[in-house]
Amino acid sequence: MNSPASLEQLIAALRCLPGVGPKSAVRMAYYLLQRDRKGASALAQALDIALQVVSHCELCNTFSETPVCPMCASGKREDSMLCVVEMPTDMMLMEQTQAYNGMYYVLMGRLSPLDGIGPKEIHLDKLIKRAQDGKVQEVILATNYTVEGEATAHYISELLGKHGIRISRIARGMPMGGEIEHVDAGTLAQAMLERRGVS
Amino acid sequence: MVIGATTRQENQAVYVLHSYPFKETSLIVELFTRDFGRIAVVAKGARRPRSALRGMLQSFQSLLATWSGKQELKTLHGLEWHAGLLVLPGESLMCGFYLNELLMRLLPRDDPHEALFDEYALTLKMLATQAQDSAVILRKFELCLLQQLGYAVPLIQNIHDEVVDASKQYYYLPEVGPVSSVHVGQENGVQLSGETLLAMAQDDYSAALTQQQSKQLMRLLINYYLGDQVLHTRQLLMDLQTL
Repeated sequence: MNSPASLEQLIAALRCLPGVGPKSAVRMAYYLLQRDRKGASALAQALDIALQVVSHCELCNTFSETPVCPMCASGKREDSMLCVVEMPTDMMLMEQTQAYNGMYYVLMGRLSPLDGIGPKEIHLDKLIKRAQDGKVQEVILATNYTVEGEATAHYISELLGKHGIRISRIARGMPMGGEIEHVDAGTLAQAMLERRGVS
Repeated sequence: MVIGATTRQENQAVYVLHSYPFKETSLIVELFTRDFGRIAVVAKGARRPRSALRGMLQSFQSLLATWSGKQELKTLHGLEWHAGLLVLPGESLMCGFYLNELLMRLLPRDDPHEALFDEYALTLKMLATQAQDSAVILRKFELCLLQQLGYAVPLIQNIHDEVVDASKQYYYLPEVGPVSSVHVGQENGVQLSGETLLAMAQDDYSAALTQQQSKQLMRLLINYYLGDQVLHTRQLLMDLQTL
């Protein structure tokens, strides 16, 4: 069967989504054109608008419609602290804790050598410039505690350490309300290795 | 793989080499196993927030894995911590990624290499304790990797049975070994001293010249066997230097 060229094009375009293979792309295209043309047009419009207005905040690198995002522009944040996270979702979660009132920098990824994601892909140069605005006194590394997140934190600390900025890493160990009986061995081992004095 | 073998393997010693997302909540994990070589498994649900596998599927940790399946892609059923937690300090992490990338690119799937697995485990331990200069640790692993994969890396004599003399200079050509003079068209080999070759044969990397020349030699050989594949870790380290 020969599909119309524009349908083929739509199917090919849908495949750019992560986790969407040829079959899912066909299913999505048929659904949009057959069952939900309104939804399809809303999707097209939303994509179009988002592509035009959404870019990265000049200060924290997260998605923003304005050159500086509302949080960075609010003036209510402590600008001597800069918390580095991997993804906007990490920033959102950090905000929910209400434990931190400083500025953020979102890497939009992490160093992942085996996937070919290096310092260029996550724009480490931009972060280094950001940290040297004269106001930032402490950089808090809140990348994930995965091997990639650790490597990312290590290299950022190496790069920023040269510039005499205080650098800290978020702590890890026992979870909130954690019972030793139910904690996995790796976490427990870390908690033991990184124990701290109490008096 | 042996035909008719049982398809379920219980509590096998493994290391995670790499993993990537698969469908909504799963991961495809490349494992380096002691008795079955490099295999790929699906870790179902490993990307769910409360998955027990999630925290354990980290590279450089000695694990015991249980999997089943006859196809190239197997199903992971369980993981357990094997030896104690291995903490690689920051600068050793990239060395670890480099080891993993070498194994991912050079080691074919389903080809057991017990000795190489043991060497890998030892190398990680040395990187964690920083018992030696990490460059030396890497050189030893590179040499072991090529030898275990069955590539000849002649050090004390070349394929024409010429014995290496410590006081002479040699050109090293992949698959041939050290030669005292090169023909036109073979100049892409590495130039090094006989002393370096003999030191490498004895696992002695204490001299600065040995460290420098063995690096060039191993780079030549690894590039030769990689073909046109690029090593991302090497590129990444170079990019970091420029920042």
